[in-house]
Amino acid sequence: MANPRAISSRARSAIFAPIGDEGRAVRVENRLAEAIRSGVLADGDRLPSELELAQMLGVATVTAREALVSLRAQGLVVTTRGRGGGSFVRAPEPGDIVKGRLATMSRVELRDRASLYLVVLTGCAELAAERAAPDEVEDLRDLLIPLEEDDVGRWRDAESELYLSVAALTQSARLTREVVRQEADFGTLLRVPLSEPDFRQAAGERHRALVAALGSGDAAAARASVRDHVSHAVERLTEIHEGVRQ
Amino acid sequence: MNVDVSTDCAARIEHHFGAILTELERMRASVAALFDDGPVTTDRLSAHIEADTLAFLQDPTLLGSGFVAAPDALSDRRLYLAWWQGAGRDFLGEAEVPATGEAIDYTRQPWFRTPERTGKLNIAGPYVDFICADEYVMTTTLPVYAGGRMAGVAGADTSVETLETMLLPGLRELGATLVNAHGRVVVSADPHRATGEMIGVPAEGGAERLLSVVRLADADGREQLESLAGWPA
Repeated sequence: MANPRAISSRARSAIFAPIGDEGRAVRVENRLAEAIRSGVLADGDRLPSELELAQMLGVATVTAREALVSLRAQGLVVTTRGRGGGSFVRAPEPGDIVKGRLATMSRVELRDRASLYLVVLTGCAELAAERAAPDEVEDLRDLLIPLEEDDVGRWRDAESELYLSVAALTQSARLTREVVRQEADFGTLLRVPLSEPDFRQAAGERHRALVAALGSGDAAAARASVRDHVSHAVERLTEIHEGVRQ
Repeated sequence: MNVDVSTDCAARIEHHFGAILTELERMRASVAALFDDGPVTTDRLSAHIEADTLAFLQDPTLLGSGFVAAPDALSDRRLYLAWWQGAGRDFLGEAEVPATGEAIDYTRQPWFRTPERTGKLNIAGPYVDFICADEYVMTTTLPVYAGGRMAGVAGADTSVETLETMLLPGLRELGATLVNAHGRVVVSADPHRATGEMIGVPAEGGAERLLSVVRLADADGREQLESLAGWPA
């Protein structure tokens, strides 16, 4: 069995480990990449010069340069020379954002995020089944879209809203806010497989099973249907991930 | 001196929700007059109600307030929330699904749909509002009509935590529970009756009231809900 003292001293040494310039470049890169992917920095926006960027972020110029090199390699920044030149934001296509995130993610990280998402959402389904009133469950039926619908965007939005609504039925604001975070963090990846018609069909049936379980107050069945869906989605996503990484 | 605590608890409910009703009726008259005047844009609506709504929101027991438009009631936007909320009384404008950023159709939310259907004052919740307040709230809404159709709802949010602080001492003295129109617990003197739990409404008068103060009474060995007070009285 692990010695608790040893764990805490290991945790302490991790906290106080020097960050180093290598870590800083990655952090600068991640911060800018997130801003570009989320649209805070828009397509065509001019970035500050290497020198300005270094001063603003409080890092060495070489660190800022390293981050920009990496952003150029990812296609998120274009640099032109001469008068009127500089570094400009190049906004990725929505599909590329997701693929880009997948490409930079290890299989371990994917599984790690999926596990957290799974535990939070199955827990919500269980509590929601115990706490929801029949008329509230009725409202969820509006979020079940017809199985023949082939607008992928609609499927993705409806699924996200369905899971958020289930979270709200736990009557816990903190749990709901956690699901909002999970949806923003992992939801977009989890919904990649919805582009496939067969997957959509199966997903639609699992969502119907979830709403039925909530309606009959069956906590175990509600938990099982979310677990079933998230597990299937993660399996398919892991296959897609493998394809993107190869 | 003997203080009638049931009156005290009822008085606090009346003080809070009565003030909300007065404001929503004032907003209804003001907004209806604006719509009767001709086509209304989002900017005109917000400018028209901002000063009065912010004055109303000086009351720290309120979480937010404003006017939410019915679909296509405004000339330049299908859906719109002229709504101010939170500690900073921030303006909302549009509602989005928080994770995807997609515009959300709030017309299926009980605080919109119920007054639309009944034509009457409504109190929705307790519910977790992930569209606007991001909190556990109760939303009071009043439908506003112009030109023979519903232009939207005037509303105000109260956090359930605020109601607990405000009403729990009075409920404790009575050993009572505040429930909504569906019999869902808002605040209870009994620590085992969690907010959000369903316990039902009293047989008499419970269905017409948006809020009821109830107590479990033993009638011939059977537990019954006894109504102590209600709102609107």
